[in-house]
Amino acid sequence: MTTDVHRPRWQIPPLNRDERILGGACHAIATELGVGPLAIRLSFVILVLAGGWGLVLYGLTWAFLSWAGPSGAEAAAYVPEPKGASVQHRYAALGLIVGGLILSLRTLGFGFVDQIVFPVGFILAGVLIAWNRQQTEGGVTAAVRISAGVLVAAGGIIAVAALNVNSWEALRLLAIMIVVLLGLSLIVGPSVARIGTELDEERQERVRADERARVAAHLHDSVLQTLTLIQKHSEDPKRMAQLARRQERELRTWLYEPTPEQPGTIRLGPALDEVADAVEHDHQVRVEVVTVGDSLDLRPESIDDLVSATREAVTNAAKHAEIDRIDVYAEHRPNAIEVFIRDAGIGFDPDDVAADRHGIRQSIKARLERHGGRATIFSEPGQGTEVELYLPLNETTTRPAIADEPQPEPENQEDHMDPETLMTAGGEHP
Amino acid sequence: MIRVALIDDHALVRAGVRGELEESENSDVEVVAEAGTVADAIDAIVRSKPDVVVCDVHLPDGTAADVIAGVVDRGVTSRFLALSVSDAATDVIHVIRSGARGYVTKAIEGPDLVNAVRRVNDGDAVFSPRLAGFVLDAFSANLESPGNPELDELTAREQEVMRLLARGYAYKEIARRLSISIKTVESHASAVLRKLQLSSRNELAAWAANRKLV
Repeated sequence: MTTDVHRPRWQIPPLNRDERILGGACHAIATELGVGPLAIRLSFVILVLAGGWGLVLYGLTWAFLSWAGPSGAEAAAYVPEPKGASVQHRYAALGLIVGGLILSLRTLGFGFVDQIVFPVGFILAGVLIAWNRQQTEGGVTAAVRISAGVLVAAGGIIAVAALNVNSWEALRLLAIMIVVLLGLSLIVGPSVARIGTELDEERQERVRADERARVAAHLHDSVLQTLTLIQKHSEDPKRMAQLARRQERELRTWLYEPTPEQPGTIRLGPALDEVADAVEHDHQVRVEVVTVGDSLDLRPESIDDLVSATREAVTNAAKHAEIDRIDVYAEHRPNAIEVFIRDAGIGFDPDDVAADRHGIRQSIKARLERHGGRATIFSEPGQGTEVELYLPLNETTTRPAIADEPQPEPENQEDHMDPETLMTAGGEHP
Repeated sequence: MIRVALIDDHALVRAGVRGELEESENSDVEVVAEAGTVADAIDAIVRSKPDVVVCDVHLPDGTAADVIAGVVDRGVTSRFLALSVSDAATDVIHVIRSGARGYVTKAIEGPDLVNAVRRVNDGDAVFSPRLAGFVLDAFSANLESPGNPELDELTAREQEVMRLLARGYAYKEIARRLSISIKTVESHASAVLRKLQLSSRNELAAWAANRKLV
C-alpha cells in the first residue's frame, strides 16, 4: 500500500503488541490521534476516578479494537494521520473530552463508591508513570520515574484515606481489594495468559502467511514468467541466456539491494544495474556491476548525468570493443562517486578519435563537467579501454559549469604518458 | 592432477561445472567426489581427501561454512573455493571467514574456473570482482569509524589491488599496470584474505548493519 492511496481521515488503529502495557488499546488510540501514549493512559486512569468508568471504557475499547482493528499486512500498512491543527490542539481536545466525560458521568451518578475508586485510580496512575519507560532512558532516570510513580500511588492512598474515611477503614478496603485482586488473578490468570499466547501465535502465523503470499506473488510475476519465456525460446540460446541474466539481476536486486529510505531519492547500485540490464538487452554482451559503499540515498538530479554517462560508456564498449564482457565498478564515498567502465577488448587510440565525434565529448565528458566532475578515457590499441567517471558530491554538483572558464582536463596530458603511469594515475584520483 | 570435490545441491549444476573443469583446454583437474548436502559433503571430503573443494554457498541443510567447520577437525587439508550464483555480501564474507580461499560466481568461464582451482590449490586467494567489492565495502566501513584495532586496515597497495580486481582486471593485467610481478599481486591478495579472516566478527556485523543488510 503506498501513500498516494486515498486514506480516510479516521481509521481504526491496530492494537500494538510490542508497546502495550495491558492490551495495547491506549497506544493504538494515541497513535491514531497523534498524542503521546502516556496522555491516553492517564486519561483512562482519570476516568477510573470518575466512578470507575475508565476500566469499563478500556475493556470496551480493547474488545472493539481487537474485533474491528486491522491485522497482519493491513496493520503494517497502517499510517496514522495526526488530528487537529497542532499538538497543543490535540492535547486540549483530549483534556476537554475527558473533563466532559467525568462531569457527565458523575452527574448521572452511576458508578462505584469513591472510597474504592480513588485509591485504585491513584495506584493505577502511579503504576503507569513507573512503567512508562523510554527506550533511551538510563538507570537513574528510570529509578526517578519509578520512585515518582510509587510516591503518587502512595500519596493518593494516604490522601484519600485521610480526607474521606478514617485510615483504618481505608486500609481495610485496600486489604480487601488486594485479596480480591489476588484471588481473581489466580483464577483467571492462567487462562488469560493462554488466550494471550494463542492470540500472539495466531497473529504470527498470519504474518507468515502474508509474507508467503507476497513472495509467491513476486515469484509468479517474475521468475515463473521468465521460465515460460525461456521454454518458448529454447531454440535461441543467446536469447535464453539474456532472459536468464535479466531475471537473475532482477531477483538479486529484489533480494539483496537496499531500497531508498527517502522518497524521491535513488541508490546508485540499482540505477547502474538498470543500465547494465538495458545494454545487455540491446547488445550481445555481459555487464558485471560491482558497487561499493552504496548505503546513501542520492538526489536524482545530481546522479542522472552520471548514470547516463555510464550508459553511454557501456554502450560504446558493447558496440566497438569486440568483446563479450564489460566490467562496471562504482565506488560511492561520502563526498564523491567514481565509476569505472572497463573492457579487455580491442582498444583504440584516443588521439585518433575525430574532435567532432559527439559520443565521448558530449555525452560523457560534458555530462560530468557540468557538475564539476570529469571523465577520463584510457585506451590503446590491443590493450582494452577503461573510462573513469568522477563526480564530486557537494553543493557544486548542481551548479552549471562556467562556459568561458573550462575545467582543467588532466587526461590531455596523461594521454601521452605510458600505460603504466597512466593506470596508476587513474587509480589515485581523490 | 588436482583432485576436486564438487558440492552443490543441483545435480545439473554439478554436471555443468564438472564438464567445465574437466573438459577445458589444458585442464589438469579431476573431479573425485560430488555431494549435494552438508552431511554428504563432509562424508565425501573425509573419505576422498580432495585437494580442492568447490562448494556452493547455500546448501539445503546449511552453508559452505558448515561444511568447512565439519571437516576442519578431521585431518582434512583440502582448500575451499566458494562458487555461487549471487548471494548477499554477509553470506559470502561469512564463508570466506570460515576459511574459504576465494569466491567466484557461476557465470565464470571454464578456463577461468580451472585457473581459480589451480590458484586455490597453490594456496593463493581467488577474488572475483564481486568479492573484491564486498571486501572493499567491509574495510571502508571500518575506515569511517576509526579506532577499531581488531580490523586491520588494508595498506594503500592492497586497496589498489582490490580496486583493480573489482574493476575487472586479471592478476597479470594488475601486475603490468602496477609494474610488479604476478607473485606480488598474489601475495597482496592473500594478505587481504588473511586480514579478512582475522578481523573480528563485531566489525563485520557493524558493517552489515551499516549497509542495512540485517
